[in-house]
Amino acid sequence: MFNEETLARSRELGKAWHAQYGKLVEKFGDSAPERSKSPATHSGLPLKPAYFPHDIADLDDDLIGAPGAYPFTRGNLAAQYQLMHWANQPVIGYGLPEDTRNRMDALAEQGMIGYFGQRFYNLVYDLVSHEGLDPDHPAARGRVGQCGMGVYSKADMDRLFAGMDLTQMNVIHITYYQVVPAFAQYIALAEDRGLTPDQLRGNSMNWYHQSAYVGMSAFPPRQGHKLAVELINYCAEHMPRWNTTNFFGYGAEEAGGTAVEEIGLMLAYGIDLVRACIASGLEADQALPRFGFQIAQANDFFEEVCKIRALRRIWATTMKERFGAEDPRSMHVRIHTHTSGVSLTAQQPLVNLIRTTLHAFGAALSGVQAMEVSAYDEAFAIPTEEAATLALRVQQVIQEETNITSVSDPLGGSYYIESLTNQIAEAALALVDEIEAQGGYVAAQESGWLRRRIEASAEHWRELVDSGERTMVGLNKYQTDEPPPGELFALDPEVEEIAVKRIEELRANRDNRRWEQAMAKFTAAAEALASKDFADLDGSLIEAAIEAARADATTGEMMEVLKGALGWRAPHEF
Amino acid sequence: MSSEIAPGAPIRVLLAKPTHDSHDRGVRLVAKKMREAGFEVIFINFLMPDEVVRAAVDEDVHVVGISASSGGHLVIFEDLLAGLATAGRDDVVVIAGGVIPPGDEATLREWGVEAIFGPGTNADQAIEMIKQRLAAISP
Repeated sequence: MFNEETLARSRELGKAWHAQYGKLVEKFGDSAPERSKSPATHSGLPLKPAYFPHDIADLDDDLIGAPGAYPFTRGNLAAQYQLMHWANQPVIGYGLPEDTRNRMDALAEQGMIGYFGQRFYNLVYDLVSHEGLDPDHPAARGRVGQCGMGVYSKADMDRLFAGMDLTQMNVIHITYYQVVPAFAQYIALAEDRGLTPDQLRGNSMNWYHQSAYVGMSAFPPRQGHKLAVELINYCAEHMPRWNTTNFFGYGAEEAGGTAVEEIGLMLAYGIDLVRACIASGLEADQALPRFGFQIAQANDFFEEVCKIRALRRIWATTMKERFGAEDPRSMHVRIHTHTSGVSLTAQQPLVNLIRTTLHAFGAALSGVQAMEVSAYDEAFAIPTEEAATLALRVQQVIQEETNITSVSDPLGGSYYIESLTNQIAEAALALVDEIEAQGGYVAAQESGWLRRRIEASAEHWRELVDSGERTMVGLNKYQTDEPPPGELFALDPEVEEIAVKRIEELRANRDNRRWEQAMAKFTAAAEALASKDFADLDGSLIEAAIEAARADATTGEMMEVLKGALGWRAPHEF
Repeated sequence: MSSEIAPGAPIRVLLAKPTHDSHDRGVRLVAKKMREAGFEVIFINFLMPDEVVRAAVDEDVHVVGISASSGGHLVIFEDLLAGLATAGRDDVVVIAGGVIPPGDEATLREWGVEAIFGPGTNADQAIEMIKQRLAAISP
């Protein structure tokens, strides 16, 4: 990377620096913070107090490369934000479809924008839908429209997108395990409006492995894995522009995972998923270009920046070398940043605006494609419109006031950044090897190994916070007596009543014969899927789901079928 | 009926979290810390509050802690407290944790929820509260 002369000079400078640094530590060391003696990242990777050219002398030039060039350490494309900004993708969803639509329109009016003038709507479903229920189920009481939108049918989709041109937007459907019903209902709505599925743009979560880290009911991991491949197969044939799968690294981080664990786990699952896609008859280059990533941006500023760069590198090299991917889009890691919610505090909540600004700033410096910035009042309730607008303003200030968007990968070439990027990449690859040695990600989920690993990190984090070793301003340091927070979001109690009434009316008025036939076919397809191998997957379950959605099947009805056929349980005894 | 704790017997706690509320990192740490403090802890995910009532009765616990971080908590506590009363177990100490909006705290306390541990709480605070509360009925 550097010639001998440069390296010799670098070592000389390093030696002189070290002598001076040593003197300072000797003089002030007793009163200096612990981190000055053994600096490390939040993942626990050792750091040096200063970096020099010789620290990256062994690093192959080609691993750094250029923006838009393999292995994409410096970014997917030659142009980063010069031609278009990253997409604003705030999470939106509460109450009735109409409530969510109001918030969508309000944020659009405030300048929320995707690529080249298109809008991205990042829509989260409610707790009832997440559990695979309808609003009239006894367990739905008090949860309808909470933490997401109450959308349970094609008819609700129609209310949500009333009067909008579905071809002019990108819709991200944030679901847990009700991926298939939501996807099918969206397609059925589009068909009602004279469109074909291939005209739609957006994302499905298609991520059945959140239960690897958190105790929630889920399909058994292998059945979920098949559902994911089934949807990828359907899209490969019918919806080439649909982003099939959202690698939910954010969930691993929020559950306690470190930066290294977050990206290591995503690559490990990527290997398992591509293997399964190939087993089902797809080429790597058919599946990979439609994968996306939702990645956290948390407090250790440079580690989080380098994490993104490292993920791009190890994904590209693995997909190319291991699976023979040739299309550059197969090697790209398209990232939707979600600023870390777990880093926020209920204490002194306005301080969260400062934290989220730093998170978003780091994401921008890493060259991500889209961003959701958490609202400062998240630790209390669903964000108010004011808080949601301020979160959008964080993105807009960075995008339009700081001028950092003028240059691609502005931190590239820094001795520190390149060295740390490499450290994180190597640590993540070592974790991937550990998981592969157990038979892959899904096997490590089934055995509970992933859960134990993430939980150990969560406990370690909490110990550091409790002991004060990790500062959280307002929580374990600089506490104040505060008045209770001001205006918080509260859901209109009418929401539940209306949602229940609507679902009852839907059931009473739909063509029952058609519904019965479609549900019988969907049930048969689900039962068939349960005993299929990957080689037998062909997208037929999705076709049957779309037919059921056309016949006004609800989320709860379709999920009941899937739960019955595939199994459904809380994965972790405790 | 376990309104009294036999000398030397451990405090029994049931911690429960709704299945669809994925934010369980805090409550699982609390479970671990309580075990380290000598409590017997049962942890369940539940869909319906009556599952919690049943587990509390079957396991003969002194304390039920509900962790709720995604809303919908009012209904859970309403049904849980009613269910415990119907089962003749209104002696069970009910506590709450997670993200409970401050505006709901008064209602929950009025219903009989004895403590609410919000974001940022140290697990030791909950352990201390339980020890003190149960010391009153422990011979």
